[in-house]
Amino acid sequence: MGTNRINKDRRKFFQTSAALIGGTLAFSIIKPLELLAQSKNEVAKDEKTEQPLWGMGVDIEKCIGCGKCVEACKLENNVPREPFYFRTWIEQYTVKKDGDVKIESPNGGIGGLKQSVPDEDIFKSFMVPKLCNHCTDAPCVQACPVGATYISPDGVVLVDETYCIGCSYCIQACPYGARFMNPVTKVADKCTFCYHRISKGLEPACVEVCPTDARIFGNLRDKKSDLVAFMQKHPTEVLKRHLNTSPRVFYNGLSSEVR
Amino acid sequence: MQEHFQHLYEALSQVDGYIYPNEIDLHWGLMIVLYPYITGLVAGAFILASLERVFHVKVLKPTYGLALLTALAFLLVATLPLVSHLQHPFRSYEIFMTPNSTSAMAIFGFVYLWYLMVVLLLEIWFDYRRDFVIWSKSSKGFKKFFYKIITLGINETDEKSAKLDDRLGYFITVIGIPSAFLLHGYVGFIFGSIKANPWWSTVLMPIIFLFSAMVSGIALVMLVYMVVSWVRQVKIDMKCLDTIAKYLLVILIIDFTLESLDQIHRIYEAEESFDIIKVLVSGKLNITLFLMQIGIGTIIPLLVLGLFQFYKPSEKIRKIIYFIIGAFVLIGIFFMRWNVVIGGQLFSKSLSGFTSFNTVYSGMEGSIMGAVWLILPLFILTFLLWLMPPWKKVEFHN
Amino acid sequence: MPKIIFRLLLSFIAFVTLFVLIRQFVIPDSFGKYGHYRANSIDDNKARPLFYKGEKKCIECHQDIYDLQSADVHSEISCETCHPPIINATSDCKLNIPELKGTIEFCAQCHTKNAAREAIGFPNIDIEEHKGNKNCIECHNPHAPWELTE
Repeated sequence: MGTNRINKDRRKFFQTSAALIGGTLAFSIIKPLELLAQSKNEVAKDEKTEQPLWGMGVDIEKCIGCGKCVEACKLENNVPREPFYFRTWIEQYTVKKDGDVKIESPNGGIGGLKQSVPDEDIFKSFMVPKLCNHCTDAPCVQACPVGATYISPDGVVLVDETYCIGCSYCIQACPYGARFMNPVTKVADKCTFCYHRISKGLEPACVEVCPTDARIFGNLRDKKSDLVAFMQKHPTEVLKRHLNTSPRVFYNGLSSEVR
Repeated sequence: MQEHFQHLYEALSQVDGYIYPNEIDLHWGLMIVLYPYITGLVAGAFILASLERVFHVKVLKPTYGLALLTALAFLLVATLPLVSHLQHPFRSYEIFMTPNSTSAMAIFGFVYLWYLMVVLLLEIWFDYRRDFVIWSKSSKGFKKFFYKIITLGINETDEKSAKLDDRLGYFITVIGIPSAFLLHGYVGFIFGSIKANPWWSTVLMPIIFLFSAMVSGIALVMLVYMVVSWVRQVKIDMKCLDTIAKYLLVILIIDFTLESLDQIHRIYEAEESFDIIKVLVSGKLNITLFLMQIGIGTIIPLLVLGLFQFYKPSEKIRKIIYFIIGAFVLIGIFFMRWNVVIGGQLFSKSLSGFTSFNTVYSGMEGSIMGAVWLILPLFILTFLLWLMPPWKKVEFHN
Repeated sequence: MPKIIFRLLLSFIAFVTLFVLIRQFVIPDSFGKYGHYRANSIDDNKARPLFYKGEKKCIECHQDIYDLQSADVHSEISCETCHPPIINATSDCKLNIPELKGTIEFCAQCHTKNAAREAIGFPNIDIEEHKGNKNCIECHNPHAPWELTE
């Protein structure tokens, strides 16, 4: 009698566990298939509407180093105020008559850059705004172990804040120093071309506030955009060309001292 | 967070020249120094064990089991410094769930898993399986329970099964050698593949890491063997120790040659980054590179071990000197990792300035945590030696 | 097949199956839709709050100032360059008046003497020498700098 009951219980246990395992297995086989079917539809939809390809032009011949873009960027994107976190910053290069190059960017240029070299020693001086270059072959995206940073279909390098594990490998991989570890969210942070603005038809905050129009934002695929006109009119160059990252931020008037 | 800012303000005041503003924070600290260090010890210890198994270097027999268990103890800890350095450690499972195929770090996860599960655990298992069965009959309590489970219900102890164990174990070791090379070569690739950093980006990086790993692993096993023999009050097999020292010398020569080659290549090509690297090496890294890595870690061991090939002092003196040399080599390799990881972040990618490294003691990335990760494997090793002492194995084959 | 290999293979298969199973449940839904990332993250990035409204929004109420500004050298400058929104003043600048900063340091941000500004012909002056005892706005209207007051 007793053994019989145990056997029954046992059988029941096996039945339930078999059902559970079977169900899980079946579900896990169906799930990826579901995903496949879905993704096909999505791609088809996207192909119809022509995606923009966002890029930026920076005109060194217009930048006055007022730092408005840096301030606006910090405000718009909730970047911590401390002087170690920048999505964009301005560098002032001063080439001295003796050939030395002095580069400065106190607090990223917030509050306006001030010339620290006496006039009589200066050979030439210019301002270089820096930001994420939104590389076509982005080393940071290549390095991210989990797929938490990526190039969006419209060509912007973005970070998935809910997925980033905070390993800093992308920061090491970025040749431009454009990434930082956000001390509040504890994930990698960087310029997004103000993705929340451009997707609503607005300009990035830095472009919006630039008093001299030294930054030109636009769609590289739109042959009538200001950006394309800027690139046609000026000889443009990208930063660290030798690294072959194919940036989508183009500089006019880039001097060889800039690194 | 305020403490962190305070720390950064201090670093900001020590900036020399120009660095990108985001570079003031050194993103990879002590934990990332420990990670290749510990992984290197694993690979090195394993390769030493394989020498005995695959290449039939019979003199090394007394260290075979020790080397394997040392490798296992350190391998279990190898990823922990990495995880403790993550800003979101609880998301670390994502590396296995959605590995990015182009990321060196993601693929490392699988290389690690392969090495742990398929190579090291299996090799140890094949080596011990028969003993587990025998021991399960003679022991009590936890040990008995553990031995029972670990045998996977296979109770054969006859000659045939032992032969099979041996054959399979040999097969795994043969797979294991390239795997150990892969494991640590891959760690080098994590750094060597970063083209943004001229101090790291060299094709020689994986192979330099590999040979320095072998150096450190061999030195570690040498020390472990001496300490364990001393604790067990058994006589050290001097022939074995001399042979280990000879291998240490050979690998050290190769390692030093490779590293010199890398530097000579750098100096001769004198690319864009050379100016800043020159200042880095002669300034910020002079103590850790010239004194610790090259002086204590390489030149002194080379000279002493080289001398021993021609002139052998008495056993007692040799033992003491081997112990000191082993410790020197371990220190040297630690600073080699340090110079790569920290050194590579001290200069700006703008190639025109330096930031500085300030030691932190507390926190997940502090020195205390670092010490924990270095000491923990020794405890694990002690536990493993208690659980499955290689000297209590029942000899079967010749 | 020897029992030992069979058992090990079984453990191995069990391990891999478990791994694959867990993987199915843990991967976020939209992962891999466009590439090796969570597609929904694009929407997360789009959904961030917006602070700078853009010039058009300001003109809705301040057409007069815009007209004044358009006629002078500051015509290119957007309103929010000098009047940045206060955090959370996202919808209504009557509730939260956009920030205004002090004047001399504020004008100096753009106009203080700097060789780089000189090089591109941007009006830059030695503020200390130029201002005397006065504040900039005592003579210049910031919206129309060359409409000098007495």
